[in-house]
This record gives sequence, C-alpha cells and structure tokens, in this order.
Amino acid sequence: MILEDVIEFLKKAPPFQFLDESVLKTVANSISMEFYPKDTLILKQDGPPSESLRIIKKGGVKVYMQSGSDDEVVIDYRGEGENFGFLSIVGKDKVRSNVKAVEDTICYLVDKDTVLRLLNSNPVFTEYFLKSHLDKYIDKTYREMHGKSLFYGGSDRLLFTTQVGDIAAKAVITTTDNTSIQEAAQIMSKHKISSLIVTDGKDLPVGIVTDRDLREKVVAKGRDVDEPVKNIMSIPLMRVDSKDYCFEAVLKMIKHNIHHILVIKDGKLQGVITNHDLMLLQGTSPLSFSKDIENQQTIEGLIPVSKRINSVVSLLLKEGAKAGNIAKIISELNDRLVKKILAIAEKKFGASPVPYCYIVFGSEGRKEQTFKTDQDNALIYADITSKEIEAEANKYFHEFTLFVRESLLKCGFPLCQADYMASNPQWRRPLSEWKKYFSRWISTPTPEAVLKSLIFFDFRPLYGEFGLAENLRDYLIKTLKGQNVFLARMASAITKNRPPLGFLKTFIVEKSGEHKNELNLKFRGIGPLVDIVRLFALESGVSETSTIERIKALKEKHPVIKEVGDELEQAFEFITLLRIHHQIERIEASAEPDNFINPGTLSNLEKKSLKESFQVISTAQDIIIEQYKPGMVGS
Amino acid sequence: MLCLKIFKKQAEGTGMGLKPAPAIDLSTPIDMCPYVVIDTELTGLNPKKDSIVSMGALKMSGGRIEVGNFYYRVVAPETELTGSSVVIHGITPSEAAEWPDIEMLLPEFYDYCKNSIIVGHFLNLDMSVINREMRRLTGRRFENLSVDTYKIYEWIKVHSGDSSRHFGANGNGDLFSIAKKYQIRTSEAHNALTDAFITAQLFQRFLSRLPGLGVRTLNDLKRIGKH
Repeated sequence: MILEDVIEFLKKAPPFQFLDESVLKTVANSISMEFYPKDTLILKQDGPPSESLRIIKKGGVKVYMQSGSDDEVVIDYRGEGENFGFLSIVGKDKVRSNVKAVEDTICYLVDKDTVLRLLNSNPVFTEYFLKSHLDKYIDKTYREMHGKSLFYGGSDRLLFTTQVGDIAAKAVITTTDNTSIQEAAQIMSKHKISSLIVTDGKDLPVGIVTDRDLREKVVAKGRDVDEPVKNIMSIPLMRVDSKDYCFEAVLKMIKHNIHHILVIKDGKLQGVITNHDLMLLQGTSPLSFSKDIENQQTIEGLIPVSKRINSVVSLLLKEGAKAGNIAKIISELNDRLVKKILAIAEKKFGASPVPYCYIVFGSEGRKEQTFKTDQDNALIYADITSKEIEAEANKYFHEFTLFVRESLLKCGFPLCQADYMASNPQWRRPLSEWKKYFSRWISTPTPEAVLKSLIFFDFRPLYGEFGLAENLRDYLIKTLKGQNVFLARMASAITKNRPPLGFLKTFIVEKSGEHKNELNLKFRGIGPLVDIVRLFALESGVSETSTIERIKALKEKHPVIKEVGDELEQAFEFITLLRIHHQIERIEASAEPDNFINPGTLSNLEKKSLKESFQVISTAQDIIIEQYKPGMVGS
Repeated sequence: MLCLKIFKKQAEGTGMGLKPAPAIDLSTPIDMCPYVVIDTELTGLNPKKDSIVSMGALKMSGGRIEVGNFYYRVVAPETELTGSSVVIHGITPSEAAEWPDIEMLLPEFYDYCKNSIIVGHFLNLDMSVINREMRRLTGRRFENLSVDTYKIYEWIKVHSGDSSRHFGANGNGDLFSIAKKYQIRTSEAHNALTDAFITAQLFQRFLSRLPGLGVRTLNDLKRIGKH
C-alpha cells in the first residue's frame, strides 16, 4: 500500500527507474519522508555533508550559491522526481550550495549507506550519476550534444571522468621500513608532504605513514621517535589503478575511512592520491574565485585569478548548468573583478572630486558574457558648476580611467576597437551631457546614432554612485516615449540581418574563405535576437538590460513577447549554449574561441533545434517589419 | 556480562516485554522526538464492546516519517463483523478468520510503540479499545505519552488566526477532510495503515507549523494535544 506507492514513484524517478523491482523494494524499505514548508532552507551551503539523497516527491527547490551577505547565484531549479544532495554524500564534503524549498515540498530520503550500496552494486545507477552531473538539468537536445561532445571525453576533469593517474602526485617520496620515525618526519616536513610511502628491501610499497599516524601513534602516545617507522605505518595500503576514475578512489576512501590511496600503474607505484587532491578537483567552484578576487590587494594579484575564470565556464558546463546561468555567473565574477580593480584605483588616486558612476554596456551590460570580451565601459559624473572643480575632475578621471583601462587589459579584457571606453573623454561625461547625447541620438537617428544606441542603451551601473545611472535610465525611458521615428529606424537596422535560413529551411553558410561551410552564431543568431528584445524593451519602457530578464519583464507588457516570448527565450538559451560549447572545444584544442560552427557537424536533433531557433527569430523580425512598415520607408 | 544480558532478557520476557518505557524528557524539541503514528480499524464505534480488526502504525523521528518501518496486522475478529464495517474496510469475515489472534499481536505492537510518543486522530477510541484488550490479556495498559492530531488541529485553528482562510468556515474534523485541506493525498479505501500514513503526514505538517506558534517542546505539545 504505502510501499507500493513509493515503488511506483521510484519507477518514474531516474536513476531508480533503472533498478530491478527487488532492489527497489529494499530501497523503499529504508526510505523516509520529510515535509518542508515553502522557504525552508533544506541544505545549507558550507554546512555538514548531507546524510541522505533527497528525491522530490512533490513541490520544488532552488539550488543556489551565496557569497558575501546578499548576492545569490541560482544554479538550478529542481522539481518532482528529481533529486539533490548526491555530491555531498559521495564527496564526503561539506554542502556546496544552498537548497531551499520554493513551494511546500515533500521529499523521500534515501540514506547515505543505501546510496553507497547501490553505487557499488548497480552500474546503471553509478552511470546515471556520472552522467547526470554533467547534464542533469538539460533537455534531450542538450543531452545529445553532451553525449558526443569531445569535451566530455578524455579531457574532462571531474570526479567521474578523471582518471586518478591524471591528478595523483607523480614524484612519490619513499623511505625504507627501518628508517626511524624521526627521520621519516624530517623527510615529510622537508618535502612538505602529508604522507610518506614506506618500502621494503625490494623497493615494493608495504605501508604508508601519514600526519595522522604521527599525531595519533607518536605524539599522543609518547612513543619513542627512534623506533623504526614500520611500527607506526598503516597497512594494508589501499590501491587503485591509475586508470580508475577518481570517483572509485573516493568510494574506497569512504569505505575504509582513509585519506591516502596508492596509485599503481603497470604494477608499479605511480603516486599517491589524497582526499585533498579530490577536493581540489571539485573545488573549482565559482565561489572560491570570488573569494580569491576579494582577497587581492593589487592588480598583479588579480591577474592570475582572472586567468582562471575561463575554467569556471567548463566546470559549470560539466555540472550541467544552463547557458543563461553560466553567463550570469561569469558576469558576476567579471563584475567582481572590475569592481576590485576600481576599488584599487580609488585607493591609488584617492576619492574622486565629484560623485561618479562607472557603467558597462554591450554584452557586459546585458550580463551575457562568457569568455572575456572587449572592454565596453563609460563614466557618468555629477554635473559641475565650478570651473576649478571641472579641471580637477578632468585630471582625476583621466588618470583614473587610464589606470583602469590598462589594468583591465592586464587581466585579459582586450581594448575596445571602437574606443568605447571611459578613458576616451567623449565617454567620460557629466550626467547632463549624457542626457544630451541620448536625446540627440533619439531625435536625429542617423545610422551612426542608431548604432551607438544599440550599444549604449544596454548600460548598467557597476561601481560608484548608482543613482547617476538610474537617473539616466529614467531619462532615457521618458525620452523614448512616442519616438516612433527613432524606433522605426532601429527596427529597420536590426531586421536587415536575417537568420541564416534558406528558402527550403536549409542553413545558409559561408560560401568561401576561412569559414567556408560555417555560420556565425553570434552575428546571425544571438545578435538579431538580442536586438529584437532590446527594441521591445525600449518600446515598452522596460529598464532591464539582460535579454532573458527583458523577456520576463515584457511577458505581461508586450503583445509580441506574450506570444513568442517563451520560444525566444528557448532559442536564446539554445544558441548560447551551442556557442559556449563550441568555444570551450576551441579553447581545449588551444585555439582562439570564435563564433563559427559548421552545421554539418551537428546531430539531427541539434540541427532541428537550431533551425527552430532561427525560425523564431525570423518570425519576430517579420512582425517588427510589418509593425514599422510606414516608418521604415525611406530609411 | 553475559549473565547480565540473559537476565535482562528474561526480565523483559516476563510480562511479555511490557516494562514501562523510560520517559522522554519533556524539554525535548518536538522535531527531535520519536513518534509512532497509529490507527486501528474496529468492528464498530463502541469502545466497550467492539474489537480490533486491524492495526497500522508508522514511526517518525521528529518530522521524518520512516515510510519503510511500518507495522500492519489484520486481527482475527472476536466480535462479529457487522455489515457496515465490512463495507468500510473491505475485509469479509472469512478473510479475517485467517489472521492471528489479538493475544499474539498486542505484545508485539506494544514493543513496536515502546519509547515513542503515540500519535493518532481521534485517538481516544483507538486507545480505549487497545487498553481494554491489554488489560484483559495482560493486566496492563499502554503508558506512552500520546497526542491527538484532531486536538492539535483544533488548537492551530484557534491560535493561528487564519481559521477561515486556511481551514474553511465550518471545518469538518474527520481525517480525510483535514487531509484534503492540507492537500495530502488520500486513498479510496480505509485501511489502518494508509490512514496512519495520512495521519503521519498531517502530523508532519503540524510539526513544521507549531514552533512558529510557540509550541516548541514535547511539554508544549502535550499541553495542546494530550488525548
């Protein structure tokens, strides 16, 4: 009755659905059930490891990370039939993210021992978690993409796909079994290692001495340090083959409650792997980066940290994060980096003579960065009446923005080709001047003015006096009201670039040149989509700058978005993910990330999804053309 | 050591393991107490006359229902199954004749409930019959602290101030009506175990609600829910 219900439920919940009925029965017998009212924090980031795998029976949860006191980054939402808490069980690690009930939620709890037993005895179960931590959240299309991507083959660095041989310490320090405890300890401290392999007369490993042995068997017991080390070494040594996956090493460590395992290659000792190595493997978390950034006091200190931000992208992809979330997290990290640079600059040059706000635009303004893109930034400062202060401000901001520009360059943000940077005096203006720029572009929409609008109107404040940027945003929304000529010019400009779909719904690719048979995902896909959504946002006075947030805000406000908003969102998500995958593959192949893919290399499902995405963009463009027809004549 | 163990076992054995359980500290937070949620199906509604048809129970550690750790037994009837109760439980007299006697089951049930706070809906009736049978068969009774989910429900209704909004103006006190209000799934047929499970889920909701209303310890719970 009750158990039957549980079993029926498990039959639909991966990976339990892959288990035999008899196994399911034993699982059901050990299952328990908890209820969490909405907003209950079920797992707490950095809290003790979870003792159970929780499967959502009813309701839903939000998985998110928090850094500092207020900022949270949503990693995922999970609903009925999905589970959480797995990594914390196998990794024996503290919980890595918060999990909060977003509605009243009921979970089945499978205790840790049962989960570990299932992992040991059911390959399908293991396989699922191995895979699902790569692509859990993603629909079938993405899954297919993952399945064949190079990226998930040998070069993957996660727990489940990394072979121990790849991360084990290579140069193993050994000593013989008749060495004294004191000598052994000296060797360990000299080489700064936490474990020492003990070998017999024939150079074969017979035991291991760890910090723990020294602590527990020597210091705590008051043992004579002249005794041979073999008296305190731990035996037997656990071994793994260098070809085993790290995951298996973790299981052995948990099972035997040890922290060191020997790695054997071709019958010979290759190295040692410790729980610390495994934690490092998992620990490329976005949070550790943001802490690293916070801790730096100099630009030189920031450089190595910033170089590692790219690796977060691959980590997040491996953990199956959605493209939108990846971009958000990366933008967040880049924001922190830039803010830190500005803070360092302020320290160097002292307080500014007048309040200012540092703004970013372009993809940075839309929080849609993945890999480092060109600098797109500017500066708004408060209006000044006195000539003296103005001169002072000019001098101050000139030096300040130059320093920021060069620092950003050192941290891997290339200069903007068009010189849209705060270091350019044209883009370092008092608020009233900025208002003049905007109203001039809107009232006299020359092609150049429209182009600038496309870039600058995605601005958002990053540092300093946010009120200045908000004031400018309000002004922009107010000024745009009823400006149909301007909007028609913008509509005309953005609908010229059609998605690369031919008459018979075939992909249009480059006919020759370096990118023959390829198409540009950024200029032919993401760009037009971003442009469409921006136009609607400007029409409706929506102040959000990111494409996804704009779509969300427009759903109730804009008739076209009401109709195709969901499709546009999916299309954006899909093309972006395709692009990130492509770029990661390029990076892993030591090439510059670019935006060109050959549709011939895509699977049928991917092709279909990409065509549908292009189709949605095309449809939206048609609607815009229809709507602005009169105004577009003569443009 | 070995002797002591044997002796202890014997001591427990006499009186069929009916040693009173050690009392649970009344200052224990309610989400850390051991509970056993029970339900019985009876031949009728008269505690003096009717007997037990089936017993169902589930353990809870605080708010966690141990779904797999359940107890369910159908009992050989002592009094005749009346026509109306056959309809409710779907157990016919000939089916019930094959089940073990209440004499064998009660000690086992007593052991299952040992060390836990008994929870049930309209618990009075269940406990009256169970204790009547216990006294008749063993001369003892269940000493567990026990709380009634109906009483707790009424208390929450009065004290949460959202009686009309959440509970409906003229709330019906039976288990299924209350379960529906909390969107707890109810099955078609009554059965001691499924009803105990519904009661457990209801109690689970209460446990998450009560601390916010000032009911934090076992003592507080006893105050509002003692049957």
